Amino acid sequence: MTLLGIALAGAAGTLARYGLSGLMHRLLGAAFPWGTLTVNLIGCCLLGFLLELSRQTGWVSPDFRTIAGIGFLGGFTTFSTFGVETYRAFETGDWLAATLNLLANVAGGLLLVAAGSTLARFLAQFVRLIGQTGGGS
Amino acid sequence: MRKIEGEQVLMRIFLGERDRWHNRNLTDVLVELFKKEGFAGATALHGTQGFGPNSVNIHKDSILRLSEDLPVIIEVVDSEERIQAILPKLDEMIGSGLITLEKVRVIRYGASREC
Repeated sequence: MTLLGIALAGAAGTLARYGLSGLMHRLLGAAFPWGTLTVNLIGCCLLGFLLELSRQTGWVSPDFRTIAGIGFLGGFTTFSTFGVETYRAFETGDWLAATLNLLANVAGGLLLVAAGSTLARFLAQFVRLIGQTGGGS
Repeated sequence: MRKIEGEQVLMRIFLGERDRWHNRNLTDVLVELFKKEGFAGATALHGTQGFGPNSVNIHKDSILRLSEDLPVIIEVVDSEERIQAILPKLDEMIGSGLITLEKVRVIRYGASREC
């Protein structure tokens, strides 16, 4: 059942990537790989949030973590496309775009993992605090 | 072996690589058609980026999401009469594609050596 869940979630993640990256290029044009950057950054934030929430609370079941993390977000983000698009930019002499893309995906991705994790920690603490307050009254 | 020389016409057909004709790739169909009709030659070239009247965005091969319908140009050099004769058929087959004609001077046509 978990394998089926991963497969279905992976398909949904891939379609979401296709739709969102297309939308980003419609909005921002074709001069920079906006689509790949957007899905990778959002994916980093969501995976950081999911895994930290799983670590901090008992809300995330192992199956959901696997299906959402490996299935959906695995299909939604794309490291290989980032690699190829950055390589192509270097290859065509567009060093500025290539360097910006490299930094934005790698450093931006790490920052967004940190942001997602921090948000999950705050949420877990907030809910614990509400629980304690509610229990005391 | 038919040989072309002197003043001829260069026809350029601008397509997308996803253009189809009766469920077949239009570029394949057109090159086969030119061969079947006895044209002097045809060459299909792949473009790395471009856009047409129906493009929402620029199509380019360096961005995966935008590389779905890259440009294709088919070039054909032959006599004015032969090109004009095939145009109605092409008009029927090429939906949103573009066709241009220009006069060219053929200085060499290597028809003597068959590969």
